[in-house]
Amino acid sequence: MNALLHRRLTASHLRAVVDGGPDDVARLTDDHRLSLASRLRAVPHPDRRRLDAWLVERAGRPSAPFAWSPVTARRILGNNALRRARDTSDALSQAVRDEVADQLLRAASGYARAGSLGHWLATAPHPVLGLITAEALNWATTVLECVEDLDDWRMAPTDVYFDVAGARTTLRGRRDVVIGHGADRVVLRLRSGHPGKSAGHGLRSDLAVEALAHPEGVAPRRYLGLWPDAGLLLGVEGTMENVRAGGRDFVRAAVAQRRVGLVRAA
Amino acid sequence: MTPVPEQLMEALRGDRARRPRRDDTTAAGLRALLEDHAYDILGAQRLDAPLIVSGARLRPSVTTRDLADATLSRSRGVIVALVTRLLVAGVHVGDPYDDALCAWRADRPGDPLLETVDHLDAELAARLRADVTAHVTTLRAVLGEIPSAWRPRSAQRARQVLGGGNLELRDVVDLIVGSLHGESANVALVDVTTSPLGVHSERLMRFHALVQTLRTSVVPLRTSILSTATAEVWTHDVTPELLLRGVDDVVTAMRGEVAA
Repeated sequence: MNALLHRRLTASHLRAVVDGGPDDVARLTDDHRLSLASRLRAVPHPDRRRLDAWLVERAGRPSAPFAWSPVTARRILGNNALRRARDTSDALSQAVRDEVADQLLRAASGYARAGSLGHWLATAPHPVLGLITAEALNWATTVLECVEDLDDWRMAPTDVYFDVAGARTTLRGRRDVVIGHGADRVVLRLRSGHPGKSAGHGLRSDLAVEALAHPEGVAPRRYLGLWPDAGLLLGVEGTMENVRAGGRDFVRAAVAQRRVGLVRAA
Repeated sequence: MTPVPEQLMEALRGDRARRPRRDDTTAAGLRALLEDHAYDILGAQRLDAPLIVSGARLRPSVTTRDLADATLSRSRGVIVALVTRLLVAGVHVGDPYDDALCAWRADRPGDPLLETVDHLDAELAARLRADVTAHVTTLRAVLGEIPSAWRPRSAQRARQVLGGGNLELRDVVDLIVGSLHGESANVALVDVTTSPLGVHSERLMRFHALVQTLRTSVVPLRTSILSTATAEVWTHDVTPELLLRGVDDVVTAMRGEVAA
């Protein structure tokens, strides 16, 4: 099924959506990967480019340059803290503080490169570190509130990346929580605010990267986007139609991005 | 309404044995009711921009003697809200005024209000600092220490779109404690205000309860408001009646906006 799932974000709905889904998920082969690579190669770009669901949702329009802030730092710190709290049984607030301390230690011992989170935290004054801690604690608590009723969930170790051969392009998929394994896995990502009209395209793009980056090309059973501020969950199934749609959206975003670049240059 | 407790957390905890069962059925009815009202008032045609109802719009329009008073009052509100966030996260706050301004600069660097504060003359800046110090002293005393097991989260945002996109409810609750997953209701909402409490505070408490119910589909246990001006705490149990009055408040706000 190619439709976008749309539910209220409640424990029972989330459990039902995680348990459902197709028995047979998409399996990508080298041919699929080569086909995507050839399409992206046909859209040249002067520099190395990174495409993600956000760019797809913005139809290739550029965002403001990235800058660290309490809001941009909260997801990394919050997710790491939640993973730490599950491993150690520490309180969430303590896990967030330990995570910030680890980043500072990394910077102090010279392991944080310029521009990294650790490097930025090392330059932040104490009250700003406090606000970062508050934001990360909110994020971690929100994630936990969403998933704690589910079985067999774990924090995703990192976002997922796929380097498109010969196209100087990296695709990035955003993921926060993974439930289950292999073809039976379900991937969750959280966003603040309210889902926009193009949220489904973003989810299909993330689904496509998740399948492309899997060693055997196996798509997850479902890819779910949670919007706790709005109390909504949207999801797509790991069918070949959805994976293909995600790939097409990346190509369209690359074309739109190139068009914007050409207009700017003119 | 409860008498002023020594600490807010005691009021929120209440008698655990008397907590009602978790209610995850009322939200759907409230949503349907709001949808009907939105259709009646705003019509079926999609508006160019949604009508936004927020906690701030439920407050009465404040008449102040001069612009400086209004600036001080708004700045004090923002600063105390930031200090609340730091305290809730268990962060040591040395000088509340300096620490909050530093956090404010990192949080909203281009905020015009912040620029105004940065350019206050020495007398007004001293007044604001003294004011903030007094409010934060009250805040610390009433807030106490929040156990981590209560899962405190600060400045929790909610955004509910209704009426086919014609109506948007926006809310920020200063502090939420408790989990949605227990057998009994145990989520409590706290608004921290630097103004004295009044009729508008009741409306705000109901609005928080309503929007939180719509957001999570679970009815919270309690809704509270703490005034750092008077150290008063008002706490209500969230009941279906309170939520229906919250719907009435939103309907009144909608009608007011349409008539304006």
